[in-house]
Amino acid sequence: MPHKSFLIPTIGLVILALGYIVFGGLNDNLVYYLTPAEAVERRVDYADGDRFRLGGFVEVGSVTETTNGVVFTVVDEGVSVDVEHTGSPPQLFRDNIGVVVEGAWAGDVFETDTLIIKHDEEYRSTDGEEPYVPPAESEG
Amino acid sequence: MTRSRLVLPVLALVALGVGFAAAVGAPREATQGEFARIMFVHVPSAWLAFLAFGVTLLGGVMWLIRKNMLWDRIAASSAEVGVFFTGLALITGMIWGYPVWGTFWDWGDARMMSTAVMFFVYTGYLALRRSVPDPETRARRSAVLGIIAFVQVPLVYFSVTIVRTLHQGLTFTGPDSSIDEGFVGPLLINLAAFTLVYVAFTTYRTRLLKIEDDLEAEEAIADLELAGLGITEPRLGGAAVDG
Repeated sequence: MPHKSFLIPTIGLVILALGYIVFGGLNDNLVYYLTPAEAVERRVDYADGDRFRLGGFVEVGSVTETTNGVVFTVVDEGVSVDVEHTGSPPQLFRDNIGVVVEGAWAGDVFETDTLIIKHDEEYRSTDGEEPYVPPAESEG
Repeated sequence: MTRSRLVLPVLALVALGVGFAAAVGAPREATQGEFARIMFVHVPSAWLAFLAFGVTLLGGVMWLIRKNMLWDRIAASSAEVGVFFTGLALITGMIWGYPVWGTFWDWGDARMMSTAVMFFVYTGYLALRRSVPDPETRARRSAVLGIIAFVQVPLVYFSVTIVRTLHQGLTFTGPDSSIDEGFVGPLLINLAAFTLVYVAFTTYRTRLLKIEDDLEAEEAIADLELAGLGITEPRLGGAAVDG
C-alpha cells in the first residue's frame, strides 16, 4: 500500500496532538472560566479592566436587582466574589444556579456585561415539588 | 420494492412515534421546565453521530483489508447520515442553549467547538468523495480520512471532562451526575428509535450507492459500444500510454 509511508507519521502526529490536549493543554488559553478561588488568587495577574470569565454558583440570598442589572455573589469551593452585572439576566437565573460571567475586576468587585447560565448534568423531575413556572408563561 | 424492504423504515417510524410519546410523557424538569425535553432529540442525535462515524471508521478499515466496494459504500452512507445528525445535535443544542444558558453559542466552549469542527471535517470527507472520480482511489483516500477523522469522536465526547466547559458534563457516566428515573426510560426509548432510523437511512443509502455505481458502469460500457470500441473516454490525471 503506497500510503503506509504517509499514514504512520500522520497517525503519530494526531496522537501527539491528542496527548498535548489531554495532558498539557490545561493552560490559560483553554481554561474556559476561573473559579472564584482562582480569580482571587490570581488577582494580581488581572488588572482592573482585563477581561476574563468567572464561573461559580449564585450564593443563596445574595441577588439584588439594580436599576440596570443585578448584584450578586458568585461562590464555589468556599470562596466568593461580588459581581455587578449590567443587563437583564437569563430566565433561569436564581439562587444556587451555576453561572459564567464575563467581565473584569473593578477593585474588589467583578463587573460584568455577559451572564450565562451553566446548567449542571442533573435532571430532576418535578414530582412532589412545586413546578417551576418561567416568568413569560406566568403572565397569561 | 419488495415488502421486506419496508420492514425497517416502518419499524423506525413506529419507534419514533413511541419515542415522541415518551418524550411528551416524561416528567417536567425542575429547573429547566419544558426546555429539558429537547434532550430526547439532542442526545440521540449526538449518539448517532458517534455511531455513524464509528461505522465509517469500520467501513474504511474493512475496505483496506478486503477491498470490497460494499465496505466503501457503507462508510460513505454512514458518514452522510452522521453529518446530518451532527448538524441536528448542533441545532437542537442551540435551540436549548438560548433559553437555558442565555446564549445560542459560545466560542470558548470545548464541546461546541469540537462538535462544529467534527461537522466540518466530515463534510470535508463527503466533499473528498465527490472530488475523486476513480472508485478505487476514492475508496482508499476516504478510508484513510475516515480512520484519521474518527479521533475526533472521543475528543468531542470527553471534551466536557478534559477541560472546563459551559456544556454540562457526562450525565450518565459522569461522577457528579444524577438523572431522575423518569427521564431515563424515555431517553433510552428515543436512543433505540433513533438508532433504528440510522440503520434504515444507512441501509437505504448503501443500496442507492450500489445502484448508482452499477448505472455508472453500465453507462460506461454503453458509451464504449456506441463508439464501436474505437475510442476510450478521456482520462483524468494524464494521458494513458497504450504501447
